[in-house]
Amino acid sequence: MGTTNNWMDGWLESQQKYWNAWADMAQRGMKAPEAPKNPLADGLNQWWQALSPMTPPVGREVFDRLMDVSKGYFSLAEQFMGGAKQGGGMDAVNGWLDGMQKMWSDWSQAGAAFRPDAFFPQNQFKGLTTFWDLPMDTWNRLAANVMPMPGDFTQAFHPEGAHAVKDQVNKFLSIPAVGYTREAQEQYQILAQRQMDYMGAMQAYQGAFAKLGIETTKQFQQSLQERAKEAKPISSLRELYDQWVEMSEAAYADFVMTEEYQTLYGRLVNTLLAVKQQMARMVDQTLEAMHMPTHAEISTLQCRQQELRRDNLKLHKEIKALQSQLEALRKTLLQGGTDEEAEEEPKPKRAAAAKPAATKRTPAAKSK
Amino acid sequence: MLPFDMRPDAVMQELMAYGQKLSHGMKNLMEVGEISSGVTPKTVVHQEDKLTLYRFQNPNKDAVTSKTPLLIVYALVNRPYMTDIQENRSTVRALMDAGQDVYLVDWGYPDRADRYLTLDDYINGYLDRCVDVICERHRIKKINILGICQGGTFSLCYSALHPDKVKNLVTMVTPVDFQTPDNMLSHWVQQVDADLVVDTLGNVPGEMLNWTFLNLKPYQLMGQKYLGLLDTLDDPDALKNFLRMEKWIFDSPDQAGEAFRQFIKDFYQQNKLLKGGLEIGEPVSLKAITMPVLNVFAEQDHLVPPDASRAMRGKLGTKDYTELSFPGGHIGIYVSGKAQKTVPPAIGKWLDERD
Repeated sequence: MGTTNNWMDGWLESQQKYWNAWADMAQRGMKAPEAPKNPLADGLNQWWQALSPMTPPVGREVFDRLMDVSKGYFSLAEQFMGGAKQGGGMDAVNGWLDGMQKMWSDWSQAGAAFRPDAFFPQNQFKGLTTFWDLPMDTWNRLAANVMPMPGDFTQAFHPEGAHAVKDQVNKFLSIPAVGYTREAQEQYQILAQRQMDYMGAMQAYQGAFAKLGIETTKQFQQSLQERAKEAKPISSLRELYDQWVEMSEAAYADFVMTEEYQTLYGRLVNTLLAVKQQMARMVDQTLEAMHMPTHAEISTLQCRQQELRRDNLKLHKEIKALQSQLEALRKTLLQGGTDEEAEEEPKPKRAAAAKPAATKRTPAAKSK
Repeated sequence: MLPFDMRPDAVMQELMAYGQKLSHGMKNLMEVGEISSGVTPKTVVHQEDKLTLYRFQNPNKDAVTSKTPLLIVYALVNRPYMTDIQENRSTVRALMDAGQDVYLVDWGYPDRADRYLTLDDYINGYLDRCVDVICERHRIKKINILGICQGGTFSLCYSALHPDKVKNLVTMVTPVDFQTPDNMLSHWVQQVDADLVVDTLGNVPGEMLNWTFLNLKPYQLMGQKYLGLLDTLDDPDALKNFLRMEKWIFDSPDQAGEAFRQFIKDFYQQNKLLKGGLEIGEPVSLKAITMPVLNVFAEQDHLVPPDASRAMRGKLGTKDYTELSFPGGHIGIYVSGKAQKTVPPAIGKWLDERD
């Protein structure tokens, strides 16, 4: 714990020194020396990298997320203060927002993958995009989750490059497979085609988000102007951040309820799963060649096992009801009652879950 | 006037305060310990596959005033301990305080062996057997059911298929119309190929649902929320509450493939519960729901919009239909202080009047 406290105190002390020096220079009207682009965010990052191994598993993910958000928050402060250092006023703010808008515009036109820090390695908004790419971040996690390889392996591909040679690649992939390995060739061709489809879908999705970024920046700028008109200026960094989140969320909510987004999202999900499905098929072929159980075979067994279980439960229920009827009949006979009285006991009801649902498919049907 | 009134020294102070809160919060995190959830004592009364049926233990047996036990049916997504997440935020405890004898279905965590479980298996199989167990224990023929979210939809289907076993039905934040214009989830899945999803993945990973839910409000739920945490980091109890909620949010069981397929296609894509044509073993008609129904919904629900629940009105076979709206969100309706004081007591009162 002592070590932990040292790290914390050290970080706080370094922040204090940094800001004291900055304030001192600002007060003297001196020009601040050229500093790293994001000293606070970078400092925070280093601090967390050193400290995180010491944190307990409980809550570590929460703090990881808090650190990500904090880095973005500090970047926001640095960008904003950078504008203030260069003269301040509305011109600096507009310059900052214009720069942001240009970034989205360049991005949208380049059709590059949604990786701001990679696309603009030296850009002044490094770290700040943590705020913008949250929806894409979730998608990347999701894609990684359903793929057999760690991480979203498709991030290694560059759809902008593939786009340029798409027609040639499609022609190449359409060449009929021939020879002894014809079937295997076909499977690889299908896989490559599906990967191309997924990358195309991803590119379209990312492009739409870049446009959303432009739109959000515009709306943010307008909202600031409205606050100025209403004489309700933003008075703290947190207020600035909250305003930004509010505008981002509103623009996002509008966009994702459009027909355009529905199509983009459906295509993205469907093409990703088509890749995964083809991969699974090819793995199954390899397993079959090695005389090992395949996924399709296990799936068939699971389906049959479930059907047997339903039948079993149905029979149990019927037996129980019959036993109940029999017992009632026995009592009636012993008491010299009538058949009608015995009939009053419950009859076996409809067997619960006795038949498969209408939408169920057999694995054999889908694996071919 | 400029839109900003931020002095550099004030911003510096703000950042310094931020750093201090972060550092001190780290100390609290180191000492936070185990995060408990599901606080009210309960006993297992039935187990089957992954399912467990619990009965909550009321320390004061005289406090149970209702003659008819109440079964809580939770959704397949997320875990049911949300209803009993901590001592001062427990819908279960508040229902017990309102005189109810409370049971709860915990569906468990399906694995790949459960991939072929259908909605018929869940509703006419598991749920029906739980109802039978409770009826046998109490020597009664009908029980009260409280269905929550997707569990509410299941409860509606069950009540339509087995009206002879349900005395009163309470639905909480339950969708009936799955295609209201403000339903973001529904809008997104319309072009998703549910067959491809299930045929490819088998069971649908819980993480996939998690990230989908987070994407409903990504900037708030993955950004702003954590910044807000900073304000409570110095309070160990508040930090624990936050972590408990985080644990619940990300504790999402995988979804049995066939049940997921039918839920997406029949409910979200074809809206069959409302429009008709739904079959779960047998045809399901809302008109077959003839017992009294209390429909509780949240006015700021971003997962199940109020209109999705209100659509029940006039579509059921019962003449005894009541609505109760709560000014809060999908989660707040179970955990907020205001909800604790108003919703469970209102449910208890409504049930008592029909006991």
